[in-house]
Amino acid sequence: MTHSPLAQRQTAFMDQVLDEAAALPDGWGENHADGIKVYRGNYRSALMDALASTFERTAKYVGGGPFARVAAHHAITQPPSSWTIDDAGAGFDQSCAHVFGENPEVAELAWLEWAMLGLATAPDTASLDGAGFTAATAAFGDDDWSQLRLVFQPRAASRVIGNDLTAIWNALGSDAAEWPNFALQEEAGCLVWREGERPTFIMVSAEEARTFAQMQDGTSYGDACVTLAGDGADEAAINDAAMRAGAMLGRWLNEGLIAALH
Amino acid sequence: MTDPMNKIPPFDGFGLGLRRTHYDDFLNNDVPVDFVEIISENYMIEGGRQMRILEEVRAKHPVIIHGVSMSIGSAGGLDQDYLAKLKQLEQRIDPLWVSDHLCWTRTSAHNSHDLLPLPLTQEALGVVCDNIDNAQDALGRPMLFENPSSYLTFPEDELTEWEFLTEMTRRTGCYLLLDVNNIYVSSRNHGFSADDYLGGLPLDRVRQIHLAGHDPATAERSLIIDTHDREVCDEVWALYVKALAMLPSPVATMIERDDKIPPLLELLKELDRARGLASATREQVSA
Repeated sequence: MTHSPLAQRQTAFMDQVLDEAAALPDGWGENHADGIKVYRGNYRSALMDALASTFERTAKYVGGGPFARVAAHHAITQPPSSWTIDDAGAGFDQSCAHVFGENPEVAELAWLEWAMLGLATAPDTASLDGAGFTAATAAFGDDDWSQLRLVFQPRAASRVIGNDLTAIWNALGSDAAEWPNFALQEEAGCLVWREGERPTFIMVSAEEARTFAQMQDGTSYGDACVTLAGDGADEAAINDAAMRAGAMLGRWLNEGLIAALH
Repeated sequence: MTDPMNKIPPFDGFGLGLRRTHYDDFLNNDVPVDFVEIISENYMIEGGRQMRILEEVRAKHPVIIHGVSMSIGSAGGLDQDYLAKLKQLEQRIDPLWVSDHLCWTRTSAHNSHDLLPLPLTQEALGVVCDNIDNAQDALGRPMLFENPSSYLTFPEDELTEWEFLTEMTRRTGCYLLLDVNNIYVSSRNHGFSADDYLGGLPLDRVRQIHLAGHDPATAERSLIIDTHDREVCDEVWALYVKALAMLPSPVATMIERDDKIPPLLELLKELDRARGLASATREQVSA
């Protein structure tokens, strides 16, 4: 750790920028206070502009005042540390969950926007299409299927959700001034990926979102089927789980979520 | 210090920043600029539409990579992940040159995403020069550094900003990006002479000039603020002409606009004014 005079000055200066209540260093006068005020303003406006730009729909959903409140909370609890201001939005869904605890759809919407931002700049990757998949698995035996692991599009994301994100997204793209209740009767899932250059998402079952997350973490197709079947499953339940897993696999292939087999 | 054989030749041209609102203009038209400048951090990414557009624009125009987050004045040294990503971009784009600012933006814990002022001390000069050596070695090419706008000075200052920049270029072999608006803003904020500033710089190291608008002082606020949100004012144009007359070789001139960005045609008109002034100044100097 560096404790040179310059390092000390920079740490103290950063404290001044981040904290309005910080006392001025010894020997600083009114001119310095005026200058610090400008740097504080620049810091805040850069951060607020970045968050408002990344979470445009979330801002529209909650309104300007509440969005400023959650942005300020986020700036205080998770001040930026990365070289790119785009990273300032990391964990913003958690800030939304904290500030809008009564409205869990806000955190889910913020999560979706954050996932879509990440996908917008993800590496360009070709998707495995149905023909490619068929060719790659043509000679598969039972063991090969069981050991099959999938490589998904970089930064594709999934989440179990309690609100209709498709309806929220569409409502926010319309001229509607008031929002209905978007809560779902039962939990669902959301998959986010990129179609060409355009980030996109669909709602799926919660089970599918969980399975996607497991396989993204390296779970094999066989183990995913076992998890879907549940403990002590009989043959019928195992067959049913295999059918459901096959349907998921088919959807992921058709939507272009799978980049390769592993 | 960078190999002195590794020089940046002068580039005589007029350009604009590549901003999202003008993507279609650049993709679909033959925009009359000699180069475009990009904000490095916006393109230190892995893929997607933004990168594809940059590569298409690069196929039409020379590109300058201009950063805001290198934090060349950080006492803790440079972020190696940042340098690696900047190097990737540099290799992908093959720019005219890579530039950043004489400032610092981060400590080990936080990043301000603003160009914070350095105490103008011998210690800071040593830190800046070590960091520039590190950056130039990593990139394998000399860089340009821009004089910042500032809103306070430090009691411990030992050098003027132009003395600092002069010694910085001498020790590291780096070049200068002269922001004429920043000279104007800081000279007004701190009460020094812009003429002294220009006269004190190693002008043979200048390869580019930035021109931009600022928010003037008000009854409530004595400080002028560098905002890049409006046209270049007459005082800054006058300082631009003065700088051009003093420079020993042609430089690249760019109009910066980062907020309240107008239609491209408006910026091109402003750029034409720079072209006209440069041409007239050159004629006067050679007469």
